[in-house]
Amino acid sequence: MEESFRTSAQWYDGQSAVRHEGEALWDGAQHFALRSVSSNLDIGLRELVHAEERGGQKVYRWTGDEDFRLILPADLPPGLAAALPARRSYGGWIDRLGLGKATIIFASVSAGLLALFFTAPDWLGPRIPTSWERSMGDALVGDFGNRICHTPEGDAALAKLLAKVDPAEEKVRAGIANSTDINAVALPGGQVLIFDGLVQEAETPEELAGVLGHEVGHVRERHVMTALLRQFGLTVLLSGMNTGVGDTLFGLAAMDYSRDAEREADEYSRERMAESRISPLGAADFFERLSKRFDYDEDSLLGWAASHPGPGERAEAYREAARGKTFAPVLTEQEFGALKTMCEEDEDVEFMEPLL
Amino acid sequence: MADIKEKANNAFRFDGNWQDFARIAFPNLLLTIVTLGIYRFWATTRERQYLWSHTSFVDERLEWTGEGRELFFGFLIVAVLIGLPFLILQFIASGMIFRGMQDYVLAMGIILFLATWYLSGVARFRAMRYRLSRTRWRGIRGGSDNPGFAYGWSYFWRWIAGILPVGLLIPWTMTSLWNERWREMSFGPYQIESDAEPAPIYKRFLLFYVPLLLLIPIGIGFQNSDLEGGMGAVLAISLIVMVFFIYFGMPLLSVAYYAKFFREAVSTMRWGDVEFSFRARTSDWIVLYLIDFLLISVTFGIAYIFIPYRHWKFYVEHLHAEGEIDLDAMTQSQTATARHGEGLLDAFDVGAI
Repeated sequence: MEESFRTSAQWYDGQSAVRHEGEALWDGAQHFALRSVSSNLDIGLRELVHAEERGGQKVYRWTGDEDFRLILPADLPPGLAAALPARRSYGGWIDRLGLGKATIIFASVSAGLLALFFTAPDWLGPRIPTSWERSMGDALVGDFGNRICHTPEGDAALAKLLAKVDPAEEKVRAGIANSTDINAVALPGGQVLIFDGLVQEAETPEELAGVLGHEVGHVRERHVMTALLRQFGLTVLLSGMNTGVGDTLFGLAAMDYSRDAEREADEYSRERMAESRISPLGAADFFERLSKRFDYDEDSLLGWAASHPGPGERAEAYREAARGKTFAPVLTEQEFGALKTMCEEDEDVEFMEPLL
Repeated sequence: MADIKEKANNAFRFDGNWQDFARIAFPNLLLTIVTLGIYRFWATTRERQYLWSHTSFVDERLEWTGEGRELFFGFLIVAVLIGLPFLILQFIASGMIFRGMQDYVLAMGIILFLATWYLSGVARFRAMRYRLSRTRWRGIRGGSDNPGFAYGWSYFWRWIAGILPVGLLIPWTMTSLWNERWREMSFGPYQIESDAEPAPIYKRFLLFYVPLLLLIPIGIGFQNSDLEGGMGAVLAISLIVMVFFIYFGMPLLSVAYYAKFFREAVSTMRWGDVEFSFRARTSDWIVLYLIDFLLISVTFGIAYIFIPYRHWKFYVEHLHAEGEIDLDAMTQSQTATARHGEGLLDAFDVGAI
């Protein structure tokens, strides 16, 4: 036998911890013979799998028995070294491609996925059918049952107000919720809630029209669906990163609109008011009054007033829209009064607990 | 063939170096970033392969046989079985908030918290089982046939029982859980024995309560002092004591206690005829953590990738074993091997060892 086909070897048979020390003899083709005083084994070269390199040794596994280990010196005869299976370092794909190439490919795929992930809500949101959003909203938030105030006069007044800021055939579902919060929300499923606390703050129906128009704007511009998708995506992403649980338990309730979405909703509101000849001056006053009275937290939750553009800038935009125009009153004194007393007069309405 | 009896004194050695480890850790970091974290399972595997293969026990190196894809599948299994239901529950919970069912949501939150507690016990058990089953020495591996669900309950109630009496039973919780977990493990033909007792570590543990006792006279001083003159000084002193205690005392006491606990726990362990001891003193642990902290601060966090290396080296260099090993009797482990990796442990973010 040629000297270049012979090397010292150690192996463990996997049955006991006894180390077998002897020689490995290679026939120059596919056959590998392990010979020692204590153990004789014949192995096909193709059945060996590279396990690792460590301190001047190469370790191989054997497909015939997962417990078997063959240990060869690192400086093998070149012929044998070439015939043995190649070393693995990073894992299958990366070893085949090379670290540099693999890094570039992974980085581009990841960048693409991230871009897709972060823009998806913006382009996917508006494409989801309204009917789907409605079913989703019903599942997520329900219809608030008996916590919405109703009186015949109040309902009529609200319907009239809504018709002016939401000219579409199928109206959004709007209601006045029996809560003292000074707030209004647009919720999944095209639902708009104005809280009674806010109704009581309003001094004219025009002020309410501004708020209602803004929330309808969120629904019509599909901001609700976009925000919902964004929230969902973030939840999935966060849970994927550390699979930590609990932090995002109240994810949906923390849903928020972007500043751009707020501007769009304001624009929508001003356009509808202009079409219906409602004065935007009321809305302007209202925003200023509220921002003076309440120190709204920029990061607060579910905030109608929270993530909105700065109150000064906002009021200015509404005043600008009023310049050189004349307006008709949006509701009569009586109708406005009916809205104001709606929750007080509805005898079996339940109180709505603060959402958070 | 005659019995080969080996004297195993100062049996563990580590001969890795940080430069070689860096050649593994930096590409790992790069690949983990560009794969948005997915490579971390393979990264962990490569790191362990290096650390294990540079660790010798008696006259042979350890071998890590775990695979990246096992850890990855473990993660996927947990994501589907636990992550997905949690995600759905989140949306149900917010739906319930909108329907005014806050009380039920609170109850659900508590149940989920308790479930997480239980599962983190199961996770600790299964991670150890997985690590032993993927560790080989002279071709022999370890493992356990116990799936760890019973240990999860033990973990659950023993921690509650330990914490409820103002934490006084925590040493008992820790030693009994240590024993319970290790006794289910084996390596080769030998079951691991562990008889850690809480009594030897109580003195250290009770040190936690000393600063609290010191606060009592300060509190009395507060009550008695008229709101003039003396009050300011008492307030200042008590504040300084509190701040000092929270930022220096507590961490130091924790390290001192843990060092003692670890020495006590390891010293009661046996494997066949081999006995173990762990010789790191409190000062060794403090140096370990202090250098960790300095390295991480000076390198703006990059040195974080060397933490597994530093800690592994620390454990190996302070772990000692004495006794005899009959290599002929050291037969292969017959325990079942878990197909998937440490997904559950990963999910609950519980660290190694």
